[in-house]
Amino acid sequence: MWVPAVAGIVRSVGDYRSPEAAEALVRVLYAEHGRSLLAYATRLTGDRAAAEDVVQETLVRAWKHADDLTEGKGSVRGWLLTVARNIVTDRARARAARPTEVADVEERTPVEGDHSESVVNTMVVLDALDQVSAEHREVLVQLYYRGRSVAEAAKELGVPPGTVKSRSYYALRALRAVMSGDPVPARGKGEVAR
Amino acid sequence: MNEHDSSQLGAYVLGALEPDEAREVDQHLATCADCRAELAELEEMKEFLGEVPPEAFLEGPPPDGDLLLQRTLREVRTTAAPERRRRSRWLMAAAAVVVIAGALAGGILIGRQSVSPADAPVAGAKQVIATDGTTGTTMATTVEPRGGWSWVEVKLTGLKAGAECEMLVTDKGGKTWVAGTWSVSEKSAREGSWFAGGVLVPIDQVKSVQIRTLQGQHVVTTEV
Repeated sequence: MWVPAVAGIVRSVGDYRSPEAAEALVRVLYAEHGRSLLAYATRLTGDRAAAEDVVQETLVRAWKHADDLTEGKGSVRGWLLTVARNIVTDRARARAARPTEVADVEERTPVEGDHSESVVNTMVVLDALDQVSAEHREVLVQLYYRGRSVAEAAKELGVPPGTVKSRSYYALRALRAVMSGDPVPARGKGEVAR
Repeated sequence: MNEHDSSQLGAYVLGALEPDEAREVDQHLATCADCRAELAELEEMKEFLGEVPPEAFLEGPPPDGDLLLQRTLREVRTTAAPERRRRSRWLMAAAAVVVIAGALAGGILIGRQSVSPADAPVAGAKQVIATDGTTGTTMATTVEPRGGWSWVEVKLTGLKAGAECEMLVTDKGGKTWVAGTWSVSEKSAREGSWFAGGVLVPIDQVKSVQIRTLQGQHVVTTEV
């Protein structure tokens, strides 16, 4: 899980609004999630410089909302990725609208983007993925997110193809159990990595 | 695919089977309602997975991103700085109490000079100003909300040099809290005296702030 690391920082430094704690928090978030955030923002913006601005703004918002990050017990990465996406969307909308609808753009509250429905979904799914076993998560990452075939994933994970198939099935079932609030299958517990 | 060999369905849904394997599953699904129902559930999970971008599974800091980190830290430091000033004033106020305690014990009076003027008050802060008709002392009081407590800043003019003062905060329950003590230097008597302290009273419970001499004489009170 990502949360304890951040919570630990906040607890150990006390008030995260002090410059020292703020710096520590940003450094931890950057070290753990920086690559993920920048890669995502780069894909969305198609531009490294714009992506860096997005990451910077995301981390600053994370620091300003450190309470949400540490008390919500949600997926910190899910929160960060969602905020990054909202920033990209807001900027794109603002650019598109500015020539004709300056007033509308200025009046729009940016807060809306922090709590829209799809925001919750990214966080909920990442949370759920945090709760299934590392083996299950790994096989879903290989087959779904990296687009690998069973044979490729078998080679990557060092297990027989039949194992990849059955694991992917049980991984989806475990995910469903988590999402619907059922008890996680036994082997899922205590194996949560990260 | 064997009848109800549902373990193929996971890889099938995720599009990871070889084409001939996928065809076998297709054929079985055409004749098996149970597997079709199970497939629908798994497909729902695949939809959920689609809410998460693939980049979510990259770990660590970005390669070549040190400038980005430094820029972000600069922004955060700049924004966080006003809080530091408040904190250091808090420490100075606390230090003043210690100095006074030592001074009284040793019989030596150490004047405390006024600290930098108050920053723009934070959101939710209350400001009041009052002049006492008898002593002629004017006090501008700012009470700032904190997490369950309050930060009280006062700017005083008309105090006598050498006076030893205490700041008392009375809550709505009638309880009085000492928020600090200090003595007035020549310079502060001339140019005005700034003092601040914290009390464990939520801002909505702060009723009044009073300045009194350590000998118990009333100087000035502001009703918040």
